[in-house]
Amino acid sequence: MLLPEFEYARPETLEEAVALLAAHRNARVLAGGQTLLNALKLRLVKPEVLVDVSRVEALRGIRVDEQGRLEIGAAVIYDELAADPLVRERQPVLAEMTSRIVDRQVRARGTVGGNVCLADPTSNYPPLFVALDAVLRVRGPEGVRETPAEGFFLAPYVTALGPGELLEAVLLPPLADDEGVGYESLQVGTDSWALARAAALVRANGTIRSARVVLGCGSVPVRQPAMEAALVGREPTEEAIAAAAELAGEDFEPPTDVHATAEYRTAMARVMARRAVLAATRGSR
Amino acid sequence: MSVTPATTHAITVTVNGTTYEQAVQARQLLVHFLRDTLGLRGTHIGCDSGNCGACTVIVDGKAVKSCMQLAVQADGREIETVEGLSDPLGPPDPLQAAFTRHHALQCGYCTPGMLMSAKALLEERPEPTVDEVRRGLKGNICRCTGYVNIVRAVHEVGGGPEA
Repeated sequence: MLLPEFEYARPETLEEAVALLAAHRNARVLAGGQTLLNALKLRLVKPEVLVDVSRVEALRGIRVDEQGRLEIGAAVIYDELAADPLVRERQPVLAEMTSRIVDRQVRARGTVGGNVCLADPTSNYPPLFVALDAVLRVRGPEGVRETPAEGFFLAPYVTALGPGELLEAVLLPPLADDEGVGYESLQVGTDSWALARAAALVRANGTIRSARVVLGCGSVPVRQPAMEAALVGREPTEEAIAAAAELAGEDFEPPTDVHATAEYRTAMARVMARRAVLAATRGSR
Repeated sequence: MSVTPATTHAITVTVNGTTYEQAVQARQLLVHFLRDTLGLRGTHIGCDSGNCGACTVIVDGKAVKSCMQLAVQADGREIETVEGLSDPLGPPDPLQAAFTRHHALQCGYCTPGMLMSAKALLEERPEPTVDEVRRGLKGNICRCTGYVNIVRAVHEVGGGPEA
């Protein structure tokens, strides 16, 4: 399909990218284009300028920063993330999940930053990044700021990214030896999109010391404070985790549509939450 | 490539070993560049929304959907299309031969994309299991065959174990 006419620019540095976004109010960031191109075809967006950040080297790296955080550049492609030795060693659940996003063609183009900034309710990364207590580094005309992933997702397709701002990197705190991560999705088909997701970060050493449980596929990723509180202090047995998971579903707000009712999605979100915590306590870090 | 926004850009791409320097509209999709500008019509347009994989080509060794990428984004890249698999007067590529043997197509519309996805899969994982073939071709939809013969053909070329 013929796309609407727009101007295209390909900056090589972050400074150039931010300057372009500041200079053109109706500009859009283009990276892998796996969603934006469809939005253009459907005339859902009509930007005057596309700023292609896919070759900005500063957005393409994966490294460990001076605070020991795993720093993932926003323009890192799914395939690169899934294969990266640092990610596989420090966040194997993240690497494994990434290796199963949609299909090989999408994994060859789609970017972490694109997935996060789109904030589609079914996006893979947002619930996991909230569970992992990730910090997002954002660069804009006023400079650089860091903001927690928790609180970044305001509504479907709406984030706390301001006008002219660009997501620069996702920063993941290191996992302690007694911390485990779980990520479970009820998918429509193999490697497909999901009806319900849950991500969990659990610290356990005989008993559960702390837990962050996040549901995905509602309007935004949401923490589950009642379930988290019910887990802390308990032994990580299947029974205790199942009982706590009955409390999941707070502020979940899933849609009812042709695929499933909201009630079904909520029931399945509880199952995913139970499985994610169970996986996390099995040291599946 | 200019940092200055423009509706037209000059790009250099290598397609099936031939290098092209061409001015393209910013809004032109890679699939239209291949089919309309270069006349390489082997790459098909199916759904035009990134779902069916009929437009799959290989860019720098990776299978991508050419309806989901701008031509200008392919600047400096090396592209392989189905036309590059074999010479029309020479022997077919092993994948093409296996597709023929196993009757891995009926209408043939999805076949160029299937072949390019399969080629990328076999380069990444030379001896895939049946499950790995299925997973590797997940981005390509076929409405005729039920996939069984396609999977057989690709699995045979790889020569990998069943499971």
